[in-house]
Amino acid sequence: MAPTRTIKNKHAAGSKSSSSSSGPKRSSSSGVKKPSGGKGAPKGKIPSKEQKSKPNFGQDRKKKPRVYTEKELGIPELNMITPVGVTKPKGKKKGKVFVDDRESMSTILAIVQAEKEGQIESKLIKARQMEEIREARKAEAEKKEQERKAKLDETKELMRKKRKRGDGEKTKKEDEEEDKIVKEAVLRGTKAGRTKKKSVSFAAE
Amino acid sequence: MRALTDEEMKTVLDKLANYMSDLKSLIAPLEDGDRYVFRLNHSRVYYVKLSIANLATSISRDALLSLGTCLGKLTKTGKFRLHITALPILSQGARHKIWIKENGAQPFLYGSNVVKAHVGRWSEDCPEHQGCVVYSMADIPLGFGVTARSTTEARRLDPTGVVCFRQADCGEYLRDEDTLFAG
Repeated sequence: MAPTRTIKNKHAAGSKSSSSSSGPKRSSSSGVKKPSGGKGAPKGKIPSKEQKSKPNFGQDRKKKPRVYTEKELGIPELNMITPVGVTKPKGKKKGKVFVDDRESMSTILAIVQAEKEGQIESKLIKARQMEEIREARKAEAEKKEQERKAKLDETKELMRKKRKRGDGEKTKKEDEEEDKIVKEAVLRGTKAGRTKKKSVSFAAE
Repeated sequence: MRALTDEEMKTVLDKLANYMSDLKSLIAPLEDGDRYVFRLNHSRVYYVKLSIANLATSISRDALLSLGTCLGKLTKTGKFRLHITALPILSQGARHKIWIKENGAQPFLYGSNVVKAHVGRWSEDCPEHQGCVVYSMADIPLGFGVTARSTTEARRLDPTGVVCFRQADCGEYLRDEDTLFAG
């Protein structure tokens, strides 16, 4: 128990001493007493107080009240009135910056021209590629068309050959059958527009 | 009257580069030691000799109507619009050209687009939506525009198809007489 006590006492004593030591310092640094002391001395209105402040008089004049910057205060950046991006650098000149000398103009010119050249080049390349694709598609479509035509011709030829071969061998019965099929097709064709009437029948109980 | 800022200069040159292949000749020093500069007055951009621009500083901004060659106007949105008055400068270093036949010159000068039937010849390897200067068959610049199709595509186009969208033509000197230089 004893050592703890002693420590506590020590702290207490230290804090007291520090506070006591800082006390007069603060008073000396604070600007509150400065004007009263400064003004009071020559006028001599309050002699009792004046005598006490006299020894610190010289030091008070030299020390200025400290102004804390925003960084020192450690205020978070987002918690400010002006947003982070909006604040402008302090040292920079206000207003527009004109381009009038040849060097800066030629640098801008070179940048712009290079950009444009690149854009045009890419446009041309793209156009060429598109043209190639179009050509390939066209060729493919033509090929397909030719194939289809060839197939059609082939079937036509086959049909013709079949008919020629079949003319001599046809019997009367086959002819009749053919006629029947044709008639049916004709009838179906004429009735194609008409729809069958719906009829309802009831099942007998 | 003032010189152009960094961004303004960039937008102006960017627009000019659409039509011209050689921009460096614009600011090249002249034989007499003088050079051309860009100046801004009442949102209009002028291309003028430095010596004349320096002389013009003695005239107040309101009293100064025009100087040098008016290239165009800087819009309130920060874009740059070329005027027909810039045609002599554009035609000097045109990147792509279209020559139109005599029967097409009048429709173009009255403000219509260039159709394929009116085209006499055009420069090869011209991409789509690229600035081009329109000439008559006698090599007289009539105006400028933007290509509607690339050269290869335009070949396949029917005669009434639009080849070039008009941007400015010499007819504007009469049609837009009131607003071309002021207002």
